[in-house]
Order: sequence, then C-alpha cells, then structure tokens
Amino acid sequence: MESKKIKKIFVEGAISPEFVGDSIAKHSTKKSIGAHSIFLGQVRNDRINEREVIAINYSAYTEMAEEKMHEIREATFNKYELTCMHIYHSIGTVNVGEISLFVFTSSKHRKAAIEGCNELVERIKKEVPIWGKEIFEDESFQWKTNANKSIEL
Amino acid sequence: MEIKIIAFGQIADIIGNSIMSINEIKDTEELRKKLSNAFPQLNEISYGIAINKKNINKNTEINMGDIVALLPPFSGG
Repeated sequence: MESKKIKKIFVEGAISPEFVGDSIAKHSTKKSIGAHSIFLGQVRNDRINEREVIAINYSAYTEMAEEKMHEIREATFNKYELTCMHIYHSIGTVNVGEISLFVFTSSKHRKAAIEGCNELVERIKKEVPIWGKEIFEDESFQWKTNANKSIEL
Repeated sequence: MEIKIIAFGQIADIIGNSIMSINEIKDTEELRKKLSNAFPQLNEISYGIAINKKNINKNTEINMGDIVALLPPFSGG
C-alpha cells in the first residue's frame, strides 16, 4: 500500500512519454506485480463551429482537488486489490496530441488493475474540480464540458 | 461578517475576479440570489458550491471565515 499522505497530482503542462516510460520502469523491482493498466488522456483537435481546438488550458481548485483525489484513491485501494496507483493530471496549457491525464494501476492479476484504472478515470472526470478551456486556432476559447462523453473513452 | 468567495472556470470569467468578499450573507441560497442579481449571466450556468472544500448539496449556513467556492461543471481529463 502507498502512504496515507495527500499526494500531488498536478504536473505543469503536458505529461511526457518519457515520464510515462520511467514510471513503468520503476516497477521492475516490485516483483509481486503481474499486471499494469494505464490510461492516457490525449488532447483532441475537436472542430467546433468551423474552429479547430489547438490546445486545452487546465485550471483547478488545487486544494480541494487534492483532497478529493485522496478520497478517491483510498476508496479504490479498498475496493480493488491493487499493489500501486499513480495519478497525474496536467495544469496549464497542453497542446493537441499531448498527454494531459496519466492513470496507472498495478496488481497481482489483471482484473483489479483494469477495473481499478477504469473507475479512477471515471471518478476523476466526474468528481475532481478541474476545468479545461479549449483554445482555438484564432485564440478564441470555450469552456470544455465532460457531459455524455464517457462513451468516447 | 466577511466571507471569502473563490470562483473557477467560466464563473471566474463572468465575475471577473477569482477572489472576492461579500458582506451580510447568511446561507448559500442567499448567496446564489445575490450573485445572480449582480451577475445575470450566472443564471445560464448550473454551478455547485463548496464550503471549506466540501460540496454542498442543500441550503447551508455560511459562517465568518468560511471559504466559499463557486464550481461550474468539472471538465478534467
């Protein structure tokens, strides 16, 4: 089990593929793990009213987000038999094609890792106070909405 | 009595300042009314309220020193 202290989840800007790779590599010493499950959220070039999204600017109520994330983390550890859990979300600007959310669970057998990872992603999107502002090529913007988008995951 | 209001997302865009103080508010219903009078655009948005980082689901008393957050629908991920 991880320590009980509140963990930092926010990363300034995009989450790099190297960071994801390093995180995987760090688990080679944890020999009871038999399965990893990883979710990576990537910024998509949605086209809205003829304008194309080129980036998302994320902001958050950091203190509340970290508390909420802690609560979700504890609940998920209690529900699934996970060996480890790592969660990172971008803050600030992330360009199209870059990674803004990284959820990583590990377990002895695959089912716990897969289901735990999926539940974390759903709960993060629904319950953690983070907002995305979609920036268009002409520098105009609109606030992103997550409603009814779970099917597209 | 002074309480601290913090706004996020599109609500921060409307209110113009992400931190403000309001006097003479007894509960969250009254706060919503005062805000919608001052900022009619807020009527077009459904938003949640958190007091001291806890979500509020019903009309709740606001006390001096509380930190009240106005939270438009979340869109992380």
